[in-house]
Amino acid sequence: MIQFDNVSKIYPDGTTAVEKLNLTVEEGELLTLIGPSGCGKTTTMKMINRLIEPSTGTISIHNKNISDYNIHELRWNIGYVLQEIALFPHLTIEENIMIVPEMKKWGKQEIRHRVDELMEMVGLDPDNFKKRRPHELSGGQQQRVGVLRALAADPDILLMDEPFSALDPITREQLQSDIRSLQKEIKKTIVFVTHDIDEAMALGDRVCLMKNGEIVQVDKPQKLILEPRTDFVRNFIGEKKSPWQTAVDVIMDQSKTRMISRLQYERKNFNPNGVYIIVDEENQYIGTYKDGQKMEHPELPNDMQLVQTTEIFLRNEIDILPVVQDNRVIGTLSYGDIVHYLDSKTKVENGVIHQ
Amino acid sequence: MNHFLDVFQSRQTMLWEKVWEHLQISIISLLIAVVVAVPLGIALTRSKRLAEPIIGITAVLQTIPSLAVLAFLIPFLGIGRQPAIVALIAYGLLPILRNTYTGIKEVDPALKEAATGMGMNTFRRLSKVELPLAMPVIMAGIRTSMVLIVGTTTIAALIGAGGLGELILLGIDRGGEINLILLGAIPAALLAVILDFILRIVERASVKAGFRSLAAVLLAAILIIVGPFLANTQQQTDLVIGGKLNAEPSILINMYKILIEEETDLNVELEEGLGKTAFVFSALQEGSIDIYPEFTGTAIVTHLEEQAESNDAREVYEQAKEGMLERYDMAFLEPMAYNNTYTLATTREFAEGNDLQTISDLKSIDDEITAGFTLEFNDREDGYQGIRELYGIEFGEVRTMEPGIRQGAIEDGQVDLIDAYSTDSYMVELDLIALEDDKNLFPPYQGAPLMRQETLDRYPELEDILNQLAGKITDEQMREMNYQVDYEEKSYEEVARNYLQDEGLID
Repeated sequence: MIQFDNVSKIYPDGTTAVEKLNLTVEEGELLTLIGPSGCGKTTTMKMINRLIEPSTGTISIHNKNISDYNIHELRWNIGYVLQEIALFPHLTIEENIMIVPEMKKWGKQEIRHRVDELMEMVGLDPDNFKKRRPHELSGGQQQRVGVLRALAADPDILLMDEPFSALDPITREQLQSDIRSLQKEIKKTIVFVTHDIDEAMALGDRVCLMKNGEIVQVDKPQKLILEPRTDFVRNFIGEKKSPWQTAVDVIMDQSKTRMISRLQYERKNFNPNGVYIIVDEENQYIGTYKDGQKMEHPELPNDMQLVQTTEIFLRNEIDILPVVQDNRVIGTLSYGDIVHYLDSKTKVENGVIHQ
Repeated sequence: MNHFLDVFQSRQTMLWEKVWEHLQISIISLLIAVVVAVPLGIALTRSKRLAEPIIGITAVLQTIPSLAVLAFLIPFLGIGRQPAIVALIAYGLLPILRNTYTGIKEVDPALKEAATGMGMNTFRRLSKVELPLAMPVIMAGIRTSMVLIVGTTTIAALIGAGGLGELILLGIDRGGEINLILLGAIPAALLAVILDFILRIVERASVKAGFRSLAAVLLAAILIIVGPFLANTQQQTDLVIGGKLNAEPSILINMYKILIEEETDLNVELEEGLGKTAFVFSALQEGSIDIYPEFTGTAIVTHLEEQAESNDAREVYEQAKEGMLERYDMAFLEPMAYNNTYTLATTREFAEGNDLQTISDLKSIDDEITAGFTLEFNDREDGYQGIRELYGIEFGEVRTMEPGIRQGAIEDGQVDLIDAYSTDSYMVELDLIALEDDKNLFPPYQGAPLMRQETLDRYPELEDILNQLAGKITDEQMREMNYQVDYEEKSYEEVARNYLQDEGLID
């Protein structure tokens, strides 16, 4: 847990980068920091590993003031991924990853094992890539290694400073989905700075929107969309966003009117003309009822973009699918929901479609 | 070409010895420069306010001509290797310092931030990230310094540091003997090329093998430096006798050595070819050498800054002897017979064509004459300055040059007239005519051993031993001995020993 308590950063020249910031990043949470440039998001992040010292206020990790930690040990426990990737060009991939474990004096065998394990985790064949140097890898591969380097010594916290902004759109998307699946596995506390609202919305368990050194709103992505606290939030989120890029959990039907329990299903306690998603006692998806039959369809992850769902709908010839988060069904998405959502996001003026 | 090979053959042993010395001096200087400049450069990146002034100072050090640095250091460090090495270090500092500073400063800030953010401390960041990344730039600086140092080491021969410069100086002294000069210059250039090549390999290896390759080179360098010290445990020397750069002083000091070692148990070491008068004299004052043969005329004019009160050789000697004792506390023993005074010399053809016998005869045609003078002569009261005042002669053009080059210049007809010493061997070889000093401008120049009084007090027997040469060696004999060395390639020692045997001074 990272806690900001009344933290301000004022530079000697008088510019205020961050003002009276209060923020808590929960254990295992991925928090994205976003805002227009100069809003203080990077400063906020770099104060966590003390690359920047706050002028006033305190930051605590696990309820202990960070200035009470040995600064080097503090940093060993905070993985750091940079926008510039910044792999050391004179070291091999393996040596880059080994740096923090070496400083933490891990055993040689242990380090070697860890490097292999990490590389396999992101799909880089250790035998093939270990001895190469960074410049022999593509940008996407390099940043994968950048993330591994940060994770190497199994830190509690990961700081990511616009890590994917230097990559091309396709690679960026790949890495975003990588980090999502990785986070499911490793459950680190991650502070992720980005200037790309789609990235912030797609990755963040919560999104912290900042402006002029202050927090405007910290909330779950869909809350930010549904309940923007100010016009600034609305505009910022709405700015570049196509409705087709919206995550399904924003669009989905949360009313559970299209869901039935295993018990209801077994007792046939529902309208047999409808189509329903059947869940068990744990809220896990069991199947879909249609035309008197139970079938199984793919689940939609809660952060999947709308555009990616259409193909699944068409392939399965079904008009409703379950939306799941952590294996639990949290809602349903149907053709009807999609049409309503798109309609609500589209205005037609003088024959021109505005989104 | 064939002649070059002959010279190479005959001087092979000397060549290898000089190459070795050259290598030693260069590498010691380079190593120390690296040891000083690299940490300093690193320190400066931490304190940017100091960086500019300090780099500025080393830049100034480098702009001072190397010869001046050498001359400046003699009063403090004497002659020989130490001052040479100090001067070379001063020379090598700048490129290494500047490149270390720039190399480290220009490491990508993102990489520095990554290192800091990952929890490296300053030292680890330096050794693991900054130094390896700056290494190519630092090595480029070291290579520049190395070339600079290997080149400048040739000049260090002027203060008796040894090295390939000795061959070059010897070549210049022998009337620009091109093969000798090449024999010094080519290996010096090759050394620079080879060392540069080695350093480039080290640089490449250091990327892969890290500091291990550097350590290996360091070890090799230290072996080169220390090796000779381990090999020959040097004899204790009691006396060091120095001599200016020329055949004549070198022959004389060999005679001193033979005589002293014949009659005492003292160990004598010779420092031959010590360059200019000023270098040798400051070396004597400072104690790097104990004795050197000086001319009576030079003692009066240069060291005592007086005019000779008479033109009588004996009176001039007495004036010099008293003056040196009074002003410098130095003993000037009895002079030898020959008078190696300055003279103006020209070719027989030119002299006959213009009907020249005396210096006064030059006056009528002075503005048509191109003279080739040594820097020293051009500036001396008993040289060209005196000629202008006493004779009222102003030559059309005066070219100043190294002593050894004058005879070549007059031989080729580039100049009509040169200053010469009456015992110089080329007077015979080139059939030059010495013009008579009809107004007695030049004081007599008789050679005599000059030493600090304290040396004589410690070894009073030296007076009798060295005075055995008093009144000996005529102009004719001196010229003949010079000729044997310069043109017949005999060694100084052989010529010296032959003379002493002929005179019955030794068996």
